[in-house]
Amino acid sequence: MKTRNDNLQGSLALLVLKSLEQGPMHGWGITLHIERISNEVLRVEEGSLYPALHRMEQERLIASEWGSSENNRHARFYRLTASGRKQLAAEQENWRKITGAVALVLDFQPA
Amino acid sequence: MCALFRRDELTRELEEELAFHLAMREERNIEQGMPVAEAQRAARLRFGNPVLWHERLSEIDLVLLPQTVLQDVRYGIRMLLRNPGFTMVAVVALALGIGVNTTIFTAYKAFFALPLDARDPGKMVNLALILHSGVTVPNFSYSDYQAYRDGLHLFSGVIAEGGGEQLTMSGADGVARQRNSGMGSLVEKLRLLPASASVAQFASALFVSENYFTVLGVAALRGRLFKAEDTQALGAFPSVVISEDYWQREFGGDLALLGKTIRLNGIAFTIIGVTPHNFAGTMGFAVPDFWIPLTLEPLVHAHDDFLHDRENQCCRLFARLGPGVSIPQAQSEMTLLAQRLRPLHDAQSELNKPVTALIWPGSPLPVPLKQYSGLRFAILLIMAAGGMVLVIACANVASLQLARTASRQNELSMRLSLGASRFRLVRQLLTESALLALFAGVFALLLSCAFLKALAALLAATVPAEYGTLVYNMTPDLGVFSYVFVISLVAGILFGLAPALESSRSALAYALKAHMGVSQFRSRRLRDYLIAAQVSAALTLMIAGSLLIRSSLHVLNEDPGYNLDHVVSLQIQFPEGTKYTPERKLSLLRELRDLLAALPGVAATTSAQPPAFQNRTTTVSFNRGGSSAGKAQTVVGFDYVQSNYFQTLRIPLLSGRTFEPQGGEHEASVILSKAAAERLWPGRNPIGLTLRMGAEGQTFEVIGIVRDVRGDATNRNDAVLVYLPLPEKRLADYPILIRTHTDPEQLISALAPVISSTDPDLVAHASTVSELFRMTPAFTIPSTAAAIATVVGVIGLLLASMGIYGTVSYVVVLRTREVGVRMALGARKKDVLRLMLGESIRPVFAGLLLGTCFAVGASYLLRRILYGLNALDGISFAGVSALFLVVALFAAYVPSRRAMRVDPVVALRAE
Repeated sequence: MKTRNDNLQGSLALLVLKSLEQGPMHGWGITLHIERISNEVLRVEEGSLYPALHRMEQERLIASEWGSSENNRHARFYRLTASGRKQLAAEQENWRKITGAVALVLDFQPA
Repeated sequence: MCALFRRDELTRELEEELAFHLAMREERNIEQGMPVAEAQRAARLRFGNPVLWHERLSEIDLVLLPQTVLQDVRYGIRMLLRNPGFTMVAVVALALGIGVNTTIFTAYKAFFALPLDARDPGKMVNLALILHSGVTVPNFSYSDYQAYRDGLHLFSGVIAEGGGEQLTMSGADGVARQRNSGMGSLVEKLRLLPASASVAQFASALFVSENYFTVLGVAALRGRLFKAEDTQALGAFPSVVISEDYWQREFGGDLALLGKTIRLNGIAFTIIGVTPHNFAGTMGFAVPDFWIPLTLEPLVHAHDDFLHDRENQCCRLFARLGPGVSIPQAQSEMTLLAQRLRPLHDAQSELNKPVTALIWPGSPLPVPLKQYSGLRFAILLIMAAGGMVLVIACANVASLQLARTASRQNELSMRLSLGASRFRLVRQLLTESALLALFAGVFALLLSCAFLKALAALLAATVPAEYGTLVYNMTPDLGVFSYVFVISLVAGILFGLAPALESSRSALAYALKAHMGVSQFRSRRLRDYLIAAQVSAALTLMIAGSLLIRSSLHVLNEDPGYNLDHVVSLQIQFPEGTKYTPERKLSLLRELRDLLAALPGVAATTSAQPPAFQNRTTTVSFNRGGSSAGKAQTVVGFDYVQSNYFQTLRIPLLSGRTFEPQGGEHEASVILSKAAAERLWPGRNPIGLTLRMGAEGQTFEVIGIVRDVRGDATNRNDAVLVYLPLPEKRLADYPILIRTHTDPEQLISALAPVISSTDPDLVAHASTVSELFRMTPAFTIPSTAAAIATVVGVIGLLLASMGIYGTVSYVVVLRTREVGVRMALGARKKDVLRLMLGESIRPVFAGLLLGTCFAVGASYLLRRILYGLNALDGISFAGVSALFLVVALFAAYVPSRRAMRVDPVVALRAE
């Protein structure tokens, strides 16, 4: 049974997984990506991001390794694993179902 | 998994990762136009509190479970150190509980669960016979022993041990002697009058069969030990073996001692070997100074002839089971042999009737422990007391924990809101309980060392010195300790569980609501239960202890039946040498007696053993007469006394007359103690009746009855005494008892010149009879019991009052705000005090009530060993309860006073 926390974390996890679909990124990169693509609507809290990344790594949805960033700094890069891709597909499907259902309810007009 | 071991590295990595992110955020802010300083600040603000992160990261990490346990431990230690008062009290309480129990079980193992000191002790067994009458007899005569030794084939060896004795020792010239201090013999504790040239001493000796050491499987430390084939050789060259302990203590381990001659009771023996350190053989925890072959016993005691007297049951028998032999098999073989030996015994003897053999695993105790119902009872009692102390200690710690966690609501709820689950909270609290138990365990080890040393000292005074040096394990048995420690760990966690669950639940509530000023109802109930439990347990302990103490006091103060205040006992030792023929000794003694009688203040002198030291028993046969005709037999104590003995010791003559002054051995009369008269001829006047000493001994006529003297109050048999007239020629074998009008101590100091004027070479030991009495088991056992009961009772009281004090203190802290409100609303200080006290005292009252019920049950169980007391002894019950109430009130009052001093303004402000 997912608690409220889990649901929120689930959304963030979905966004992170999707971001990583494009290729390996570091935490800052993920933050920028989400903010930019959502037109600054979604702001990623650092306080939530790193714990979520940590947890997903523990769950082996993503893997990490250290490397050099674009401005030659030492940074940790994350990438999707096979099970991460599977999870991403499942979460995306789930999200579509939920939002579809919500949309149906909201569009209801009494005839 | 790797996370567990690479923790520091992980932290470093995380910090690096976050530093990178922070730096990038700063850069971005600067790009967007913020000034540098503000850019940095804004970036940091967005990041938030790093500490919080670490926690949350760890929370999420399922795999890091072991690591968080370590974290729990470190956190727990910090918390415990932050509240030193609580920690100390809890640790002390638990340590007392664990320590007391460890001591008790260690002592039990050391004294009652000891195997024989032998190689492969599992194969050694004790032998005994169960008589037709149902009594178990572990003693056998020497002739019977020989029969068993040679006739039983299922054993690989049968040994005999003839009991310990004190012998005079002298000689060993040319060897350096060390004056020993420490656990000396009973007699050496008495004052030594000026010593002369040839100083005689006392040593303890154990008589053993020649094959003793071989069967036990012990090798000599030096020299050699006896062997079965030695009997002939020993007759020609009498030898003894010395124990290593005595050898070191007395002779400094001087190797020159081997092969030297020593005189025991005046007879020369050669020392041929040394037994290993602390080797006690069949004696359990007492190491004799010398080991003497049984066959040489007649040398040391010229009058006895027990080697050939089949009725003299002198010796205990032990045996080693042959390979593959079981106890039941050996038992049936022995029973067969025992039956064959029956006709060899006296027709009147018990051993002539059907007997069965009893064999049980080797132990220094004469009969299997289950036969000592009184002793077993006492042991169970002490163990129960120990268990109760542990219960009190655990309840104590539990209530303290409860109180403390109640005051940690703030911290707990904060952790909850930080993301800790309730499970984590509970685990944290339990870790602290476990840590407490750990500290307490260490402390308990130290405590039990101290307790055991004290116990050892106490026992050294109780055990008679004939048994030799006491050696026993004074270190806490680690097996016992770990067992008790595990129990306490489990108990600590268990008892910490309820408070932990309680407070984690209330912490949740606390986090949801704004603040919590009043303690939760449920945790308060639990606290009350704990207090009541402690009080009732402690009260039971104290009442039981008080009953025991009062019973012991009664035993101690009871009239012993003779006047021991103004009587001095003087023991003369004649030095070795041909100068002292029996006639010379006699004339010296007579001379001495006359001189002593002439001293100022002396009322009478007589030669006899002091009453507490009469311990010889024999069978007497007599005619019952009256309706039940025919001969009967019974066992009585006996002793030889002179005609003025009773007068000297102020033992009243109840009827008849005393011996003729010049009678001695020619007078065929006896005097009975009242108990003896009751035993032999109940309800009849025994004066004029006759009895025979031994089954077929000389006939004596009863001429008088005297009042009983008490040996051991709880053992009625001691009072059954038959007094025989002391033959004149044996006068020198007995101490001189002197009654004086004046101070006995003065008399003792006046004795020296008198004795040396008679003969300057004499050695004498003098003591007042009351001093002697204080060293006998009849005195020491009740006083030891009282001492132990006091200690345990005080510990129980201490623990319970600590529990009350601690709990009330924390309740006060908890309710500070409530008190502030009340006072702001107009309550006076007295009202506040009454409030606090009233609520704390209620569980105490409940505990007192409950404790009284338990105590009634306990006293019912104890009634068997209580002496001179009603089981429902009013003084004990009422007095102890009152004492407890006062102490409890005080323990609650002190912290309640702090409540009174609460400044309402401060209290209300501190929300």
